[in-house]
Amino acid sequence: MKISRRNFIKTTAGTAGLAAASVFPFRHLKFAHAFGDHPQEERPYRITKKIPQVCARACEANCAYNVVVGVDPVTGLERAITLEGRKKDPVSRGKYCIKGMGFVDSMYDPDRLMVTLRRTNPQKGTDHDPGWVVMDTKKAADEFVDRLKKYKREEILMCSPGDPYTNRLCQSTGITRADQRTECFGTHYYINCLTVTNPPNPYYSSTYTPSHHICGYDYSDSKYELWFGFDSLTKASKAGILNHIVEGRRKGTKRVMLNPVRSTLADCYADEFYSVKPGTDLAIALAMIKTITEEGIYNRQFMSEYTDAPALIDEKTHLHATDNTGKWLGYCTQDRKIKPLDECKTPALEGGPYTVEFKGKKITASPALKKLWEATAGCTAEAAEKLSGMPATAIRRIAREYCAAAPRAFCPALKRDAAGPNYANSWKLRHCINILNMLSGGMDHEGGVLLLHDVTLPWLDDIAPIPRPYPPQPQKPVDGRNEFPVTWNIYKNRDYSAPGHYGMAGFGLYHGTTTKVVFFRNPHRGLYSFIQPQMVEKSLEKMEIVADWNLYLDDLGYWCDYVFAAGHQFESAKLDLRLYYPKWPCLAGGLPVQKSPGDQIGWGTLAKKIGLGLAPEYWTTDGSSNPKHLIKDTRADMAVQKAHAGKDFKDFINKGGVWVDKKPYENWQHIRKIGWNKPNGRLRIYVDEFVQAGYKGVPQWSPRWYGTEGEYRFSTLNTRAPWLMHADPNFVNSAIMKQLTTRNHMDCVWINPDDARELSLTEGEQVVLETNPKYMKELPRPVRARLHLSKRVRKECILLFHGLGHRAKNLRHARDWGYRDGDLIPQKDPKMVKKYDALGMGWVLDNHVRIRKV
Amino acid sequence: MKNYAILLDATICTGCNSCTYKCIQENRFHAQASQGLFRTVVEIKDEGIRHYRCMICKDPACVEACPEGALTQSEYGSVLYDANACVGCEACVDACPFGVPQYDPMTQKIVRCNMCAHRVKDGGLPACVEVCPSDALCFGEYNAIVALAKKRTIEEHLNLYGLTEAGGCRFITLMKQAPADLGYPNVVQRAQNKPAMDVTLPGMAALAIGGFKTFSNRRARLETEEKEKSTP
Repeated sequence: MKISRRNFIKTTAGTAGLAAASVFPFRHLKFAHAFGDHPQEERPYRITKKIPQVCARACEANCAYNVVVGVDPVTGLERAITLEGRKKDPVSRGKYCIKGMGFVDSMYDPDRLMVTLRRTNPQKGTDHDPGWVVMDTKKAADEFVDRLKKYKREEILMCSPGDPYTNRLCQSTGITRADQRTECFGTHYYINCLTVTNPPNPYYSSTYTPSHHICGYDYSDSKYELWFGFDSLTKASKAGILNHIVEGRRKGTKRVMLNPVRSTLADCYADEFYSVKPGTDLAIALAMIKTITEEGIYNRQFMSEYTDAPALIDEKTHLHATDNTGKWLGYCTQDRKIKPLDECKTPALEGGPYTVEFKGKKITASPALKKLWEATAGCTAEAAEKLSGMPATAIRRIAREYCAAAPRAFCPALKRDAAGPNYANSWKLRHCINILNMLSGGMDHEGGVLLLHDVTLPWLDDIAPIPRPYPPQPQKPVDGRNEFPVTWNIYKNRDYSAPGHYGMAGFGLYHGTTTKVVFFRNPHRGLYSFIQPQMVEKSLEKMEIVADWNLYLDDLGYWCDYVFAAGHQFESAKLDLRLYYPKWPCLAGGLPVQKSPGDQIGWGTLAKKIGLGLAPEYWTTDGSSNPKHLIKDTRADMAVQKAHAGKDFKDFINKGGVWVDKKPYENWQHIRKIGWNKPNGRLRIYVDEFVQAGYKGVPQWSPRWYGTEGEYRFSTLNTRAPWLMHADPNFVNSAIMKQLTTRNHMDCVWINPDDARELSLTEGEQVVLETNPKYMKELPRPVRARLHLSKRVRKECILLFHGLGHRAKNLRHARDWGYRDGDLIPQKDPKMVKKYDALGMGWVLDNHVRIRKV
Repeated sequence: MKNYAILLDATICTGCNSCTYKCIQENRFHAQASQGLFRTVVEIKDEGIRHYRCMICKDPACVEACPEGALTQSEYGSVLYDANACVGCEACVDACPFGVPQYDPMTQKIVRCNMCAHRVKDGGLPACVEVCPSDALCFGEYNAIVALAKKRTIEEHLNLYGLTEAGGCRFITLMKQAPADLGYPNVVQRAQNKPAMDVTLPGMAALAIGGFKTFSNRRARLETEEKEKSTP
């Protein structure tokens, strides 16, 4: 075909025109930007600095990270923008989570308390205007101290977790300290003390272990893990644990999880999951112990050398038999004699009772392991199946698999979980968990339970020794802890930071005591820490002075006379032991991101002020009351010097602020230093203190302290949205977190769809939950909430989400949102509690409710 | 320029929403997020985890639909959004087969992911990928991500979503469940995006070059014709 040049040009131009108009998006070219020039290719903020910090209070992992500070494009002002990981931290390994990031934005929460408030209206409660007046914080503190001076020590209650300043304050003034962390961590802490760490010891004090915990878990290198309700939704965001769990999964760790709620952790990381009846996992644990001891598949070497399994229990006293120096005795199979355990190479683990003469005395005794075996005699897998719903064959098989993976096999346990230790009988479950960790030899072993070692943080008393012994503590504390001899002894004589019985403080205050002043050091817990907050509210109305040191004016503030403005956790320096993963001795430090923007006061400063006012000789370097001689806090310098991590804290931070001594973990050797029956310490399966207090030395089955009855047939389970922490307004008062919570129905109560159908309840419906009035005799406050139907929840259960239901009028996003789960928990009378719980720490989940339509 | 993709292994995502919050802080859209408008957000459902976010289509309908050219596809895969050019017509909202872009009535603009172009430009990871505590999110070169996704699908008997949907996406999800069980939309699956376009352009170019080649011999042809005319 011939075509002229003119026609060719015409045709080409025409085609190009058509293409432009139809297929090819040439029109976009006019807006296109060269690479890197598009507005979205520019960082939305300008970074000005990065400040090292360590997370605290959001979970026990305490990830180390940098706070990225930059110029905010919205305001043009410099502010903290986000976080950045610190890869050197062996816990977080460069990861962090939504809660850590939440702290960044909460520094700028418009509802943050910037000034100290003093009440003018004597009528208390969230329904009354307190008539706040703003006071200069220092003047308010002086006024408060002057008023405190008029009260006797028995008339003052301090509500605070243990910390160096609180401890010194309460001990120097002789006032009772009740710890807000009791129900979360108490059971674990005391069982660990009684079976593992034998306080006081060189490494552990609950002051420096924010979760009151004493060990971490080696998820990265384990072969087998058995989770008793450990997979709560709250753990779904814990970066410091998740990154290790993922590594373990990659390496082939087998995980078995038991829980009445199927969490996302179970979805992701459980090789086997069993939906068990609430409060029955004790039966499963006992059946597993029975299988292991009966079949003799436990770690014999570990049990013989590092535990009291061969130690003889006197049949008469039911206590460990000892020589006159207090050393445990064993029955030596070689020469058929009773000898101190350290002198016996082949102590009997089974058999007995042995009747032998020892130093002229006839003793009839059996090894502790035999006592355990006897205690589990009726705990068959079939019986456990009947109680829990978990198949007997699975119970036995899992017990065998668990032992086959020893010593890299363990059961993690840390704090309150849906099926975990928060029933009145779960102190026994917690005891069983430690025994299972001993039976595998996973305790103090890589791939198992890792014990903190070779690194400590000093106390105020270490840098400023006290001039004379502290005055005695009140003999009848308002929280009723004196009713529990096991914990009372540890608190009074061994670890003053140990959890008190906060859950009973409300009961004690309500039923009338000598208390006239309550001072809360309230790191965002408020009324939510209390079981039966309505009792606390009522009793606070009667108090002469109530004060709170807090970052927010929360619900509790509406019953306070003074609310002191506190600093944000990013506004102070930090030094942290890496307890969550203590494979190596490690320290991580952080610096203040900014100065507190208002008239806030740090806890140390306020404590010194009160201490100087009430017990000056303990707060000065020379025992005088001269404020110029106030003790100077050099604990951080001392800690880094001791670890050879730097000349002082400043030097340590300049070197990067993370120090790790990556020496090989010495398996089973730390027990020797911290265990019972030193100098060659051992772990205990048999606890004499329980026997002395009238309980059994080894765990035995007991049902929940009250059961279902008629319509009151729904067991309450408890968890939190992964992005919230307790009732902390840092998170709950965030509009964004609120959106996430609502979107995931975590502002609702969750019920199994089958149960809902039976009750003719539908998704989103408003319902009322009521506790059986037999167990809620005073101040019942039914809970009204929205319903969400979820197959994740076992039938006959109700899943409650903790931390919602704030009533403080000033919290713009948190107020009147959701429901308060604490209102449903039955009254905790210490005299009744001790019938079921030697420690008095459980209770939260021992509850059955009825549900009805609004 | 490489083009990139993100792989979500939903089998190890616990639904913590750290990716959600990191995205908000990194891209500074707290005001929108406070109203429930997220660029990425995770829902915990009975059946499993569902991420709601831009699927980063290889042939994005939103770009096509935008009458103002506010959306452009970058060389490395992400769709960039120019808020200044956007008039808030919501054409992209209607066009997206996954229902992802969200309209903010306060600003009359769109809330949508750009795969953290400012980070990728500098060789970094998108914010959501960097923060993920369980490493459920993985970022890399498109072909490598696709190969990894396919391998895992076969080895672990998983389901894939995003590889072929809407002509292929750069956000690919691995999951145990059938995507429909988690509410993922059943969009049209195509093996390749716009093959006609790919053939048309080179074809047009070949014709044009051929034409120019023909006419580039014009001088020689004219000389030949002149010679033929002058030859008696």
